[in-house]
Amino acid sequence: MDNFRSSTPIKRRVFLKRGLESGALLVSFPLWKELLLSGPEALAEKAPAAFAVPKEDLRKLLEIALSRGGEFAEIYLEYTVINTISLDEDKISTATRGLDMGAGFRVLQGEKTGYAFSDDLDFSRLKEAAETAALISSGKAGASPQKLKTLSPPTYYEVKVSPDTIAPKSKVELLLRANTIARAFDKRITQVGIGFGDINKKILIANSEGLYVEDNQTLSRFGVNIAAREGDKRSTGYESKAGSYGFEHFDVKLAEDFARKACEMAIRTLPAGDAPAGEFPIVIAAGFGGIFFHEAIGHSLEGDGIRKKTSCFWDKLGQPIASSIVTLVDDGSYKGGWGAVNVDDEGYVGHKTVLIEKGTCANFLQDKLNAKLMKMNQTGNGRRQSYQFFPIPRMTNTYLLPGEAVPEDIIKSVERGLYIAKIGGGNVSSTTGRFVFSVTEGYMIEGGKITQPLKGIMLMGSGQEVLKNISLVGNDLLVIGGGSCGKDGQSKPVGFGNPTLKVDKITIGGRKA
Amino acid sequence: MDLKKLGEEIIKKANAWGADEAEACFQNIKTFNVNVRKGEIETLQKSVSAGLGLRIFINKQLGFSYTSDLSEKSLDEAIKKTFELARITEAKPWQGLPDFGPQTLSDLDLYDPEIAGIPDEKKIAIAREVEKIAMAQDKRITNTEGGYFSSTEAEAGLFNSNGIAYVFKQTSFSFSVYIIAGEGDNMQGGGWGSSKRFFKELVPVEEVAKKAAQRALEQLGPKPVPTKKVPVIFDRYAAPAFWMGIISALNGDAVYRKTTFMTDQLEKAIASPLITVVDDPTIPRFISSSPCDGEGNITRKNVVIEKGVLKMFYYDSQTARKAGVKINTVARRGGYKSLPFAGSMNIIVENGQDSFESLMKDIKEGFYVKGLRGAGTDVTTGSFSVGASGFWIVDGTIVHPVDGLTLGGSALEILKNIDKVANDLDMRGSVNSPSFRVAELTVGGKRA
Repeated sequence: MDNFRSSTPIKRRVFLKRGLESGALLVSFPLWKELLLSGPEALAEKAPAAFAVPKEDLRKLLEIALSRGGEFAEIYLEYTVINTISLDEDKISTATRGLDMGAGFRVLQGEKTGYAFSDDLDFSRLKEAAETAALISSGKAGASPQKLKTLSPPTYYEVKVSPDTIAPKSKVELLLRANTIARAFDKRITQVGIGFGDINKKILIANSEGLYVEDNQTLSRFGVNIAAREGDKRSTGYESKAGSYGFEHFDVKLAEDFARKACEMAIRTLPAGDAPAGEFPIVIAAGFGGIFFHEAIGHSLEGDGIRKKTSCFWDKLGQPIASSIVTLVDDGSYKGGWGAVNVDDEGYVGHKTVLIEKGTCANFLQDKLNAKLMKMNQTGNGRRQSYQFFPIPRMTNTYLLPGEAVPEDIIKSVERGLYIAKIGGGNVSSTTGRFVFSVTEGYMIEGGKITQPLKGIMLMGSGQEVLKNISLVGNDLLVIGGGSCGKDGQSKPVGFGNPTLKVDKITIGGRKA
Repeated sequence: MDLKKLGEEIIKKANAWGADEAEACFQNIKTFNVNVRKGEIETLQKSVSAGLGLRIFINKQLGFSYTSDLSEKSLDEAIKKTFELARITEAKPWQGLPDFGPQTLSDLDLYDPEIAGIPDEKKIAIAREVEKIAMAQDKRITNTEGGYFSSTEAEAGLFNSNGIAYVFKQTSFSFSVYIIAGEGDNMQGGGWGSSKRFFKELVPVEEVAKKAAQRALEQLGPKPVPTKKVPVIFDRYAAPAFWMGIISALNGDAVYRKTTFMTDQLEKAIASPLITVVDDPTIPRFISSSPCDGEGNITRKNVVIEKGVLKMFYYDSQTARKAGVKINTVARRGGYKSLPFAGSMNIIVENGQDSFESLMKDIKEGFYVKGLRGAGTDVTTGSFSVGASGFWIVDGTIVHPVDGLTLGGSALEILKNIDKVANDLDMRGSVNSPSFRVAELTVGGKRA
């Protein structure tokens, strides 16, 4: 059950990977509304029935959770429907639906967290869970919970047309049209996988400080995966659009356009040669470099590692940690972002936090517990995968603010180096700041020009070094979605972005010595 | 919860409502976990969770859904919706339940009946103890992520309309510790743990604590090395990450689609003759053992690579039928929320003849890999690149630790260039390997 821990006993390993893995296409499609035989209930109408825990009961449960002297208690109720549909080998091949429903109870006492959850919302089962979480403390009941007051957060989601109100044939059409374009694109294209999907999550949070908030979160994603082959040479290409978007963000034109782009990437990279190994200057294209900032810096600025002094940045607040052209933010209020939150999973309103301001370490990412223990402000970064987990400090949408440089000039400034177009994923140790990233699309830069495509590029280094080696920042910020970040066994959607930028030197792992 | 009754009812209903074939996969898991940091409980979590995954075939069309709500109303709804999902998809001739019916499951002794009697206090004490001992190993140990203990008691049920009705129970216990040595720019983390089916079989707390401390301390003060081609030793605990990349390239569907570099390699020598790899999930009491796979096929010992020759690809029943291959299918399942998929269960790379010391002693200049970081093998192209940490070797001895290196090459070349395999296999997880040596590999260091 827990093999990962035994063979890899490294606890605080964090990683991020691209949502759509090549080959194993797992994407989703919001068809479920049409599928109900019992009538056209939408999620929004369906969920309240599951959430029908009266406010008096919620308060009673919070009281039970505090009955052993805990300082803070919280209930997190969740009702999530995930639908997937995918096209593979020219056919609509898989349609799936998942339902997750449950409630998690958290009790805080000093630095301690007690947690229990139930996937049965019957009052007696909720009471049991509240009692179990209460056991983290072992005294008598202290303060009783405050009267619940409803919070109405602002909206950072771009959802006009809820994807679950759309006829299935509209989404099937996106998949079919994209497939037609891809199949006709080039005879070297051998595999085409396409998917569309959504996650509909309704949450309710109530806590002993009197907070009561509900939020409807919708995430939609459309993705195309391509494989190409010519003789012994193989390559892959992909393109996706993902965010807290309604269906109005997706249409046939976009689907066809994305199919074309994914095919172009696969064909472009077919002749790729082996990457060199050693230290080189690199230019990172707008968009995917955000993974870099997420991994190599963002994780090391999360409040838990800072408080425990296990992060390499724990004592760096107010100090220069990057070159002065670097300003990095984490922004839960980024409109339509894949990591956007009206409220985080503790009910704190989505927030833009400047992490690095002109090279100086300006803020950390906080959840409730770590903010309180460090006597700092919450930043809306308390996030959890589901009701089965307690919240921990996590990023939302993390991106580098644009600078002055023109992207073409940045490339021209490199005599011999690499151009990094797309990064597939990576991981980092927040203790040492050391990271690795695998590059899915990269090229040589020779004499200021992009030349030979390369395969097997690995970027390696430490966040501290790279931050100081950023010498040019472009004026072309691009924020993208679709990624999934893992930390402490919890997976969470995150957005990231960057303008084109230059890093003066970084270690490249390739096979050419 | 009476899984047997629930499972049989679901299948009966699905059939009665018009499914050609149906399969229900249940999970009911009781977990306890605790994290102790600096001697104090940091997090304590206890929970019970259950769920159902339902696969239905109508006219060779597939529908799948899952739910964590096991009320009768919700289950009825799940069945109905799975029907509708199936109708959206297009028929594929190979889709349907596996060809095998009910078989006799072996009792692999994977359930510790003592689990109910182990008090929480004892589990918490282990988490506390392992951290305390690890911290006390050396003055240079400055910080800790804490000690951890986890136990799970899982009941799984698999039912289908071909008469399969399996219910079995498993337990697992693990504990681990992660500490940090050094200060400032010279911090290194080190962790270790133990995972067993039976509480009493967990390795002694001292052993785990000492190993975690040692792993952090030995990496302190890494020095840069130049980029060059050298012999590389993969430590037995770093090797599994490499083998996982190789095994994932053996996916039968990827072979059918020709999207893996292993496509044309069956019955060919893909590795040094020193390499034999088996997949054996039938070892009694072992953490990665299971009496049946994710589709209800009984588990067997399979030979994957025999003396360097590739002997099989991995298929589940769907992909085997699609590719027209007759083979013992091996389907995995990522819990009730997942459709079955082909994959390995318990990989064992067999021991070689050499002692670990003899791998190192004739190396003039080389790299001893203790940790790998990153994806490793690109399944499509077969190119291999990872981040690595470990030790630099000069004249057969370790001279200093190194970190932030990259290893680059081709997975097939690496396999063929293995020139020594040690006899130090230690069975710990789902991929198990002795240490081995690759005659030459590109190490990417600081200086080009």
